[in-house]
Amino acid sequence: MKSLLLKIVTHAIARPKTALALFVIATVIFLAMVPRIKIDTDPENMLSPDEPVRIAQTQVKRDFALHDSIIVGIVDDKSSTGVFTPETLERIAALSYEIVKIDGVIAADLLSPVTTDDISGDGGMLTIEPLMGRTVIDEAAALRVRDRALANPILKDMLVSGDGTAVLLSVPIKEKHESHRISTEIARIIDEIKAGGAGTEEYHITGLAVAEDTFGVEMFRQMGISAPLAGLLIFLIMLFFFRSFALVASAMIVAMMTVIWTTGALIGAGFSMHIMSSMIPIFLMPIAVLDSIHILSDFHTRYAAEAATPSSDGKADKKAIILSTVDELFTPMFFTSLTSAIGFGSLILTPIPPVRVFGAFVALGIVLAWFITIVFIPVFVTLLSDSTLKKFGSDTGNGTPGNNSTDRLKRFQLSLGRFAVTHSKKIVVVSLIVFGVSLFGITKTEVNDNPTRWFKHSHPIRVAERVLNSHFGGTYMAYLVLTAPEPGVITRPETLKYIESLQAHMTDVDVVGKTTSITDVVKKVSYELNDAADEMYRVPDTSKAVAQYLFLYEMSGDADDLYHLVDPEYAKANIWVQLKSGDNKEMKRVETAAAAYFEKNPPPFGIKTNWAGLTYLNVVWQDKMVYGMLKSLGSGAVLVFIVMTLLFRSALIGALSMIPLTITVAFIYGIIGYVGKFYDMPIAVLSALTLGISIDFAIHFAERTRRLRTESGSWAETVDRVFDEPVRAIIRNMVVISLGFVPLFFSPLVPYQTVGFFFAAIMAVSGGTTLLLLPALMNILKGPLRLK
Amino acid sequence: MTREFSCIISRLCKRDRRSSLLSLQGLFSLPGLIGLLFLLSLLTLLATGANAAEPNADEIVERSNLAYYYAGTDGSATVKMTITDSAERVRTREFSMLRYDVKDGAEQKFYVYFRTPADVEGMIFMVWKNTKKDDDRWLYIPAVDLVKRVAAKNKRSSFAGSHSTYEDVSGRSTGDDTHELIGSENIDGREAYVILNRPKDADIVEFSEYKVWIDKVHFLPLKGEYFDKAGKLYKTLLSERIEVIDDIATVVQGRVTVEGRGSTVIQFSNVKYNVGITEKIFDERYLRRPPRRWIK
Repeated sequence: MKSLLLKIVTHAIARPKTALALFVIATVIFLAMVPRIKIDTDPENMLSPDEPVRIAQTQVKRDFALHDSIIVGIVDDKSSTGVFTPETLERIAALSYEIVKIDGVIAADLLSPVTTDDISGDGGMLTIEPLMGRTVIDEAAALRVRDRALANPILKDMLVSGDGTAVLLSVPIKEKHESHRISTEIARIIDEIKAGGAGTEEYHITGLAVAEDTFGVEMFRQMGISAPLAGLLIFLIMLFFFRSFALVASAMIVAMMTVIWTTGALIGAGFSMHIMSSMIPIFLMPIAVLDSIHILSDFHTRYAAEAATPSSDGKADKKAIILSTVDELFTPMFFTSLTSAIGFGSLILTPIPPVRVFGAFVALGIVLAWFITIVFIPVFVTLLSDSTLKKFGSDTGNGTPGNNSTDRLKRFQLSLGRFAVTHSKKIVVVSLIVFGVSLFGITKTEVNDNPTRWFKHSHPIRVAERVLNSHFGGTYMAYLVLTAPEPGVITRPETLKYIESLQAHMTDVDVVGKTTSITDVVKKVSYELNDAADEMYRVPDTSKAVAQYLFLYEMSGDADDLYHLVDPEYAKANIWVQLKSGDNKEMKRVETAAAAYFEKNPPPFGIKTNWAGLTYLNVVWQDKMVYGMLKSLGSGAVLVFIVMTLLFRSALIGALSMIPLTITVAFIYGIIGYVGKFYDMPIAVLSALTLGISIDFAIHFAERTRRLRTESGSWAETVDRVFDEPVRAIIRNMVVISLGFVPLFFSPLVPYQTVGFFFAAIMAVSGGTTLLLLPALMNILKGPLRLK
Repeated sequence: MTREFSCIISRLCKRDRRSSLLSLQGLFSLPGLIGLLFLLSLLTLLATGANAAEPNADEIVERSNLAYYYAGTDGSATVKMTITDSAERVRTREFSMLRYDVKDGAEQKFYVYFRTPADVEGMIFMVWKNTKKDDDRWLYIPAVDLVKRVAAKNKRSSFAGSHSTYEDVSGRSTGDDTHELIGSENIDGREAYVILNRPKDADIVEFSEYKVWIDKVHFLPLKGEYFDKAGKLYKTLLSERIEVIDDIATVVQGRVTVEGRGSTVIQFSNVKYNVGITEKIFDERYLRRPPRRWIK
C-alpha cells in the first residue's frame, strides 16, 4: 500500500502539470453532480419508510384526514379582554380569510374562529356554526365570541386560550416541506394587516412542522455561511503560522476538493441531502486541513534545514524532500485517517438511514482527504518556484533563531515536556480525578430531543412556542388511536366512557394541556340538545342515541370536524393529546402514563391502542438513535483499539494511545451532563467525531516518540525532541481547529453551536491529555515501553 | 336532493313535444309539414346559439333554477348517496324525500326520512325553504324521541356528511350571485350555456366564483365547477344521467367531486311528480308520526 502510494506520488511529481489537470478534471466531474442535489429536511426520514411507526403514522393521517399544521397564535397581554375586541377579532378574521388563499393550505380544515364550528342550543334552537364572521359589531359581540368558545370544552384551550385572552389558528398544509414557505407568507400577511392599523396584540407562528422545515432552510443557509466563514478563519490562522499564501492555499484547496468530491459522490450516488449530510463540509474541512498541516509542517522543517546548509545555495531539492516527508508521515497519517474513518464509519451500525449515509460518506471523505493530501500537496509543492518556498521557511523559526514569538513558543513547548516528565505522577492523579468526576457527570445525562430546541432561545419560533404554550393547551400534538375489532364499537357508551376516563388520566400528566375526543363531541351535543342542563353533559345510554347525535352533528355542522376524531365506520377513535412541550422526554412520560392506565384498565371489546403524531414519532427515532449511537461508539472504540495495537505492535501502546480519546469522550459528555444540556441527535452524532479525531494527536505523538527515541541518546533527549517540531504541529492544529470554528458559535442553530463547542473541546482536551498525560504515563511506563 | 323532481317543462320542451304530435297526426298535410320545418329550423337556430333572441344570463339562470329545483308542484323519490372519502372509504346514506312547492322559484318544503345507516333509521329532517329569511329546519331524533329546531345559518356546510352542501341540494338563491354568460360549449353532445357566477357577499362562501354549464334545451345544469379563494378549481358537479320522467327531464344520477377529499354519487329512484303531497304533512307533528302514505 505504502509503496503503491509512493509510486503514485513519484509519478505525479514527475509530471506535475498532468497530475494537476487530472485533479481539476476530477473536481469538475464531482462538481457537475451538485446541481442534481435533492434536499430532504424532514426528520421523519430519520426512520426508514417501512418502520412500523411510520406506517402507522401514515395510516392514522389517512384514517382521520389529519395534516401537519402551522400554528398561528394571536396574544394580547396588555388588555384585560385580550384579543376579544371588535378591531382585533376583525383582524384575526381578515388574517384567516387571507390564509386560506395561500397555495398549499387545506382551506377546508383551517381551525379558526371564522371557520371552526361551535355548537349551541340557545333558545331551543340547535346552532352549529363558526364562532364569528368577518365583522364584529361591538364589544359585547366580541366578548360573546370569547364566552361561547370558553363554554365549549372542545374549543377551549384549543382555539381560544383558557384565560380568555388569546386566539389560535391551526393552518393545515398539504406538504410538510412547504411549512417554511407558507409560514413566511403568513408572516407577510400579518405585516400587511398590521400596516393597516394594529392594536396591542402580538402574532406568533410556530409548530413542529414549521420548526423542522425552517431548520432545514436555515441549515442550508448556514452551510453557505458558517462553513466558508470557518474556512476563511482557518485560512487566516494558518497564514499567521506559515506566512506563505501559496502553501496555506494548498491546504485549503485540499479541503475544498475533499468537500466537493465527497458531496458530489453523495449526490451522484442518488442520496438526498439530509440535515445530517449538510454538515459533511463542516466535518471534512478540519480533517483535511489537519492532514495538510502535518505534511506541510514537516516538509517545511526539512526544506528550511536543507536550504540553510552552506552548499545548497539557498535552494533545496524539493522533489526529494517532499518524497521523504510523505515517506515519513505515511504511517501516522494513514492511521489517523483510518481511525477517523472508523469513528464515522461506525455510524453505519445505527438504525437511522440518514445517519448511516452521513457516516459512510464522511468516512469516504476522510479517505479522500488523505489521498488528496498525500498526492496533491507534493504536486503543488513541485509546481512552486524555489523563491516562494524559500520565503515560506524563512520566518517561522524552525531551528532558526530570530523570531521572538516562535522562540517563546519553543521554550514553552520544552518546559511543557519537562514538566510532564517531572510531575508525571501528579498529572496521572489529577487526570484520574478529572476522569472520575466526568464519569459522574455522564450519569446525570438526560436523553432528550426536540426539533424546536435546535433553534436558539431567542429565535422567533421558540419565542412563539413559549408564549403560546403558556396560554393554550399545547402546540405539540400527539394522537392516541383506539382501534376496535369491528365497526360500530366506538359509539357504544362503554367505549366512550372508557375514552373519557383515559383522557382524565392523561390530563393528570402536567405537560398535557388538553385532550379532545369523540366523547367530548357526544357530551357537548347531548348538553346542547337538552337545553344546556348540566346533568346532560354526559354520554347517552344507548349506542343508537350516540350514533344519532353524531349524525345530527354531521347533518348540521362540518362533518369533516367529526372525522378527525372518529372514522366513518365507528371502528376507530382518535384522541388528540395537546402537549405544552415538544420534548421527547415529556412525550415519553405521557406514553408511560397511558400504558400504565391500559395495564390497570384494559380497553373494552378487544380495542387496541397505538400512538402517532410528529411529537411521538420523534420519540421513536430518538430511542433508536441513542442506543444505536452507543452501540456504534462502542464498536468503533474497540476497532480503533485493535488498529492501534496493530500499528504499534503493542497492546500496551495501543491502550496508552486510547487514553486521550477516553478522557476526551468522558470529559465532553461529563460536561454535557453537568451543564444539563440534553443528549440529543446532534450530540449523539458528534460522538463519532470525538472518537475519530481525539485519537489523532495520540497517534502522531506516540509514533513520533518511538521514532525519535531510536535516533536519540536518552529518554530525556527524546522528550525534548518530541516537544519540538511534532508538538508544534499538534499545537498549531489545536489552535487552527478550535479557533477556526468560532463562527459556528454565532449560528442561530443550536446544533451548529454544538459542533463549534465540540471542535474546541476535542482539540483542547485531547491535545491537553496528549501533551501532558501521555508523556507522563510514558515516563512512568518507560521500562515496559522500552523507552528508557 | 331536489334534482329528481326538478325540471319544469320548459317552453322549449313543450314545443318539442308539440312538434312530435304534429309529425304523427299531420305529417302528410302541407301546413303540418310547413309547421314542422319551421319548428325544426327554429330548434336548429336555438341549438347553435345563433339566434339573436338568445336569453341573457339572468334569464338562463332563472329558468335553470326552475327546471332543476321546482319541477312539478310536488314530488317524491328515494335517494341513495354513496360517499367516498379521501381515504377511499365508502359509506352510504339512503333516505326518502318529499317535496312541496309553495311558490315556484320561491318557498318550498322538504321532508327527509333516513333509512340507512341502520342506527339512524327513522331520523327525520324537515326544511322550510324561505326566500326572505333563513330557512327553518327541524330534526327528529328517535333514540331519545326528541324534536329539535336546527339553525340554518350556514348553507355552505355539508349535507349529511356528503360532498354536497345544503345549497347544492336545495338551491342557491339566484339573487346571491351576479351571472355572466361567457359562451357556449358542447358537453357530451349537448349544447350548453356557460354561466360564470360571482358571489355578491364573498365572505360567507368558500368559493371565489363558479361556472355552470346549462343545457340549452331542458335547462338542467350539466356541469358545475367551483373555484377556491386562490382561484383554483376544487369542486366539480356533474349530472351523470338525465332521464325523462313524467315528461320532465330529471337528473337521476349526479356526482360531486371535491379536490383531495373524495366524491359523492347521488342516485334517485322511484321519482314521481305531482303525486298530491299536501302541505300539512310538513309539520312538527308529522316528525313523530311519518305520513305512511308517502313514507313506507
